[in-house]
Amino acid sequence: MKRRALITGSLIAAGLVWAATVGAMYHAVRRFETTPGRGATARTMWPAGSRIARDHDRWTLVMLIHPHCSCTRASLQELERIIEMSDPSLQTYVLVYRPAGFQAGWEKTETFEAAKRLQRAHVIVDAEGAEARRFGGFTSGQTFLYDREGALRFSGGITSLRGHAGVNRGSMDVVDIVRANARQGTHPVFGCAIVTTESEQKQ
Amino acid sequence: MSENNATDPKMDTRAAEIREERLHARRVRVDRMFTWLFLVQYVAGIIAALTVSPYAWEGKVHTVHLHVWIAAAGGAGIIILPILLSIFRPGTALTRHVIAASQMLSSALLIHLTGGRIETHFHVFGSLAFLAFYLDWTALLTATIVVAADHFLRGIFWPESVYGVANPEWWRFLEHAGWVAFEDVFLIWACVMGKREIASSAARQAQVEHLSELEQLKSAALEMAMSEMQAASA
Repeated sequence: MKRRALITGSLIAAGLVWAATVGAMYHAVRRFETTPGRGATARTMWPAGSRIARDHDRWTLVMLIHPHCSCTRASLQELERIIEMSDPSLQTYVLVYRPAGFQAGWEKTETFEAAKRLQRAHVIVDAEGAEARRFGGFTSGQTFLYDREGALRFSGGITSLRGHAGVNRGSMDVVDIVRANARQGTHPVFGCAIVTTESEQKQ
Repeated sequence: MSENNATDPKMDTRAAEIREERLHARRVRVDRMFTWLFLVQYVAGIIAALTVSPYAWEGKVHTVHLHVWIAAAGGAGIIILPILLSIFRPGTALTRHVIAASQMLSSALLIHLTGGRIETHFHVFGSLAFLAFYLDWTALLTATIVVAADHFLRGIFWPESVYGVANPEWWRFLEHAGWVAFEDVFLIWACVMGKREIASSAARQAQVEHLSELEQLKSAALEMAMSEMQAASA
């Protein structure tokens, strides 16, 4: 009799754990996926101190990535789609963050290799996030689009959620802006932090 | 003779007993199979999380990624109830339905842990086929309701995670659940046919047992008559 009561009690407890787990998991995953990273304090004109050579006859897209950020793979997939759908004259740069104190090679991850496989994209290692600071970006996946005059036309992310590739307003805006040369756009950015504080940004 | 036997209520009762015994034994075996499957999926989920997204990074600082915790703690929470039920209440309808729901939740977890890979969605369809081993179409219904509810609720509160866009049509979840229902049609048919085969085989066994019993009675009567004749002649 005692054993039967023990089994029934255990099953009821397991049922409660089961229901609580399902609810908690949905909540945790939703919060994780829908919480964007810090948006950029983007420069309205191409940053003068940047070491990236901008071609004045072409639109230029710059994406900041953290090579160890798993969510950034989705941003790169979306970038690939943007490159395919845009005019071949679009100049694309992927800046791969490498923090101070880490040896060369730390950044050579699967994400880095995926960036290198992108057609018509230049991959540059951004030592200590110097370029990220110049552009005013904080978060991996942050994308900046500058027109021929060097004016900022888009600043934001190009995925709908953290780690989710697929059709979304951000990547559609980038393609529309490049194609139609119209309006400006912004979209939340989802990814790991590159520059973590405002003071670090100002350095 | 066979017509008389087919309407014999004793034989029908025995056929029903055999059918239930066989179905129960089969369902207990499937429960055990799912217990092992849950454990394998649990380990696979942790490996997937450790492989795909082991750490979350903030500049140069890294911490264990949320996915790893979800795979370890969430995965355990999902499988604890069905495993306990399969040990302490094997072969019951409750166990089957909890296993069906948990298996679909495991699919959703694996899909999430692998970054929503389209290939991982095949886990849902494979799982439905395994659930059909129960020969209980209502378990398939439970699994389908869980998939539909997952898509419906996420479609309302968090649509980008399922459809990639923030404002999908309200009926989009039906399109996804529709593909599951498509497989269900064939699996439900297979369940009904499988149960009929078991019932038919049980009826045959009951008939054989009945005939064997009749033969034994005849032999006993014959032996008794012979011994009576021997006694009379003596």
